[in-house]
Amino acid sequence: MLRWKYSRPLLVLFVSLLALAPLLGSNPLSQPGFQQTMAVAFIWGGLALTYDLLFGFTGLLSFGHALYFATGVYVTCILINHEVVVWWLAALISIAVSAILALLVGAASLRTTGITFAMVTLAFGEAGHVILQRNFFNLTGGENGIALNADLIPEFWISVANTKFIYWAALAALIFTYVVIWWVTESSAGRVFAALRDNELRVQVLGLNTQRFKLLSFVISAALAALLGAVMLIAAGSAAPRFADAGVTISLLLMVVLGGAVTRWGAVIGGIFYSVATTRMQDLTQQDAFKTIPKWIGGPIAEPAFVLGLLFIFVVMFAPGGLSGAYYRLRLRAITKKSQ
Amino acid sequence: MNALVIRDLHVKINESHILHGVNFDVPSHKVTALLGRNGVGKSTTLKGILGLYSSTGSVQLNGQELIGMPTYKIAQSGVAYVPEDREIFSTLSVRENLALASRSKTNNAAFESIYELFPELKTRAIQLAGSLSGGQQQMVAIARAMLNTNEILLVDEPTKGLAPKLVTEVADALAKVAEATTMLLVEQNLALVKRIAHHVVVMDQGRVIFQGEPENLDDPSWVHQMLGVSGGHK
Amino acid sequence: MDTFILIGITGIGLGALYFLIASGLSLIYGLMGVLNFAHGSFLTVGAFVGFWIASKTGFETSMPEFILAMIVGGLAAGLFALLIEQLLITRLYDRHIDQALVTVGVALVVGAVLGGWFGNDLRMFPAPMWFLTAIDIGGAKIPADRVVYIATAVLLLVGNWALLKFTRIGLIIRAGVENRNMVNALGINVRRAFSTVFFLGGFAAGVGGVLVSVYSNGVSPLIAGTYLIYGFIVVVIGGMGSVPGSFLAAMMIGVIRQFANYYATGLGDFVVVILLAVVLLIRPQGLLGKVRA
Ligand SMILES: Nc1ncnc2c1ncn2[C@@H]1O[C@H](COP(=O)(O)OP(=O)(O)OP(=O)(O)O)[C@@H](O)[C@H]1O
Ligand SMILES: [Mg+2]
Repeated sequence: MLRWKYSRPLLVLFVSLLALAPLLGSNPLSQPGFQQTMAVAFIWGGLALTYDLLFGFTGLLSFGHALYFATGVYVTCILINHEVVVWWLAALISIAVSAILALLVGAASLRTTGITFAMVTLAFGEAGHVILQRNFFNLTGGENGIALNADLIPEFWISVANTKFIYWAALAALIFTYVVIWWVTESSAGRVFAALRDNELRVQVLGLNTQRFKLLSFVISAALAALLGAVMLIAAGSAAPRFADAGVTISLLLMVVLGGAVTRWGAVIGGIFYSVATTRMQDLTQQDAFKTIPKWIGGPIAEPAFVLGLLFIFVVMFAPGGLSGAYYRLRLRAITKKSQ
Repeated sequence: MNALVIRDLHVKINESHILHGVNFDVPSHKVTALLGRNGVGKSTTLKGILGLYSSTGSVQLNGQELIGMPTYKIAQSGVAYVPEDREIFSTLSVRENLALASRSKTNNAAFESIYELFPELKTRAIQLAGSLSGGQQQMVAIARAMLNTNEILLVDEPTKGLAPKLVTEVADALAKVAEATTMLLVEQNLALVKRIAHHVVVMDQGRVIFQGEPENLDDPSWVHQMLGVSGGHK
Repeated sequence: MDTFILIGITGIGLGALYFLIASGLSLIYGLMGVLNFAHGSFLTVGAFVGFWIASKTGFETSMPEFILAMIVGGLAAGLFALLIEQLLITRLYDRHIDQALVTVGVALVVGAVLGGWFGNDLRMFPAPMWFLTAIDIGGAKIPADRVVYIATAVLLLVGNWALLKFTRIGLIIRAGVENRNMVNALGINVRRAFSTVFFLGGFAAGVGGVLVSVYSNGVSPLIAGTYLIYGFIVVVIGGMGSVPGSFLAAMMIGVIRQFANYYATGLGDFVVVILLAVVLLIRPQGLLGKVRA
């Protein structure tokens, strides 16, 4: 592997800086507004990473990943609002529920492979989306979703001055996700995942039950997505059907492809970039200068999906491996040049 | 005069190197048998010639380079193929299978001569090819390759998995076909090879290890050494 | 009894709409292995072009004008599909995952362009007044538009069948769904069949787009959403690559969904997913799908 020997200490330093930034006098990260933006971006970074475990590391093109994220959001919210359990226990239960759901859905959909699998997971994910919009037993609030009852969670999650706690929670969830996925993909199970992606037959010949490993990957990524969903609930203050939309999974796919699959950090950067870019682009198009652009071109540009969609097509067609892939290609070139 | 000249043919499938520089010639209007143990790369050679796998090296058909051409153009240049597992279209009728293969619209004479060779295909014209017996499917596969005028016929194990009576039937048909065209034949049935082949090429582990006369097949020790089978019959 | 007929026929009408989108998805997947997420954009493009034609003729549209809108909408969607295939899909030959990803990108860009130009609000589609009349079938009053959906779907099914059955390109398509390499090995450029299938799939989706905008009372860049998803479900249940399978599954799902919604409000989508799971467990290749080697 093309590891850079300073990368790990530098990463630790960088993450510590990110963690301490809200406390270090005046900087962008000491402002609640930017803390909120970054908290959401961290959650997306973590989600993209869970998707990378599926798509990049195991080769499972799932279109229903949003379901598990939304399970985290909704189950946590419902358990808190109905005063079933205390907030952190609610989050833990949502993770368990998501894992069990993934176990069931995964067992059924993994009977298919490749593109069929994509279709099937899409169908299950959309079913979840539809069910959330229906407000069964008055639980999910239908199309409008449900607001988290602020009286039932501790004070430090709530006021604007305390946004840094949300920021920290999101950062912690991202780090936790990263560590778990790092551990899983570097473990012997992780090597099986990679072998599965490259050549399923070879793994079968080795006598390993490929189905079980795929299911494991499916369940782990679902559980982590639910954790990130629980954090999203606190950051967003409500549970809404948009968290279960197929568009969420498609965004995750975009993030992973843009950032580059199978490198872990590529997915995280892709997720953070995507999240910040969509927010910033909307701000940008509100400015006066933008209004002078004729509507037939300005209209589409104002939609983040336009630019990101084009970028995405470009990366798939001409730059497979995305950002991290390009980085490794450059390093490889530098190394081979040096050794000549 | 050689119809097909193969030089340094390499094929990789999903990173595994299957053919390591195959060299041999297929003389015009003769039958060349391609032999070797299981898994040495005989079928892969045929598919490499047809461009079904991406390959490097050189394959010349009457002087024309085939490497790099798309499969359909290679076939149009006159390379016909009877694949190992027949690969007839099981959801199409017998007649549709033949109609699909025929590249010219007015081809009645060709159809007639096919039906003469395989009368059964005429009586079963509207039957779905998937419901034919193995031998009948093989006839469709051979007939399909003979409908057009071709420079060379690539035939991969035409008697594989057939009952003895059908083996004879298919062998008779091939012998008749062989009179009129160049053929590269992969075949495990050495009796059939001896009957119709003019040359033999032996492969091992992705390379050609022998080119010569079919008379060698009469020597049991040669056969044992080259093909790992005992005796001249299997 | 008449509610029973009404729900049944409405279900079939809905199934007809699903079929219009699923037939193309199924053939494109069966022949080329492309999971086409851009199919929803074909539907939307057809809907907008059809809307444009129908609006040209004023607030009220006559039946011939409406048929013209359907045909032109279908053609526009077909040409757009052909463009996408030539420009993007063919360059990723046999890279199935990348092909699927590119179509996701196309769906995003098309949605953004149409949204940027026309906004995402529903625009009233000027359908013929005749659609609002009720037709008496077995005592049930059936809205006329349902009959139009069903007739269009049946027409396309028959047309599709005739094309596949009686033309050379149809023969090539059928053979290609089964074994693409062998078609090439017979000296036939199978890519021409790909383009045909993309055009036809786009055409059906475009016609479907016009009908969907009538059914949902207007056009917007968002109308394709649920239809694309239902299209996928239909394809999986019917069996990839089988147009009759798609037809059967589309009708089944349309009817089951309507009945479930009537007898247990809002449960329709849920029942469909259960059906999907059951089919996958019992017959992973779908109702009329073939097991692939
Ligand atoms: N699609 C593939 N992927 C990976 N390996 C392959 C593939 N096709 C063939 N091989 C390998 O290439 C080698 C040569 O195969 P090939 O089918 O050409 O052998 P063969 O000489 O025709 O054998 P047989 O007499 O059994 O038909 C074998 O080791 C086989 O396992
Ligand atoms: Mg072989």
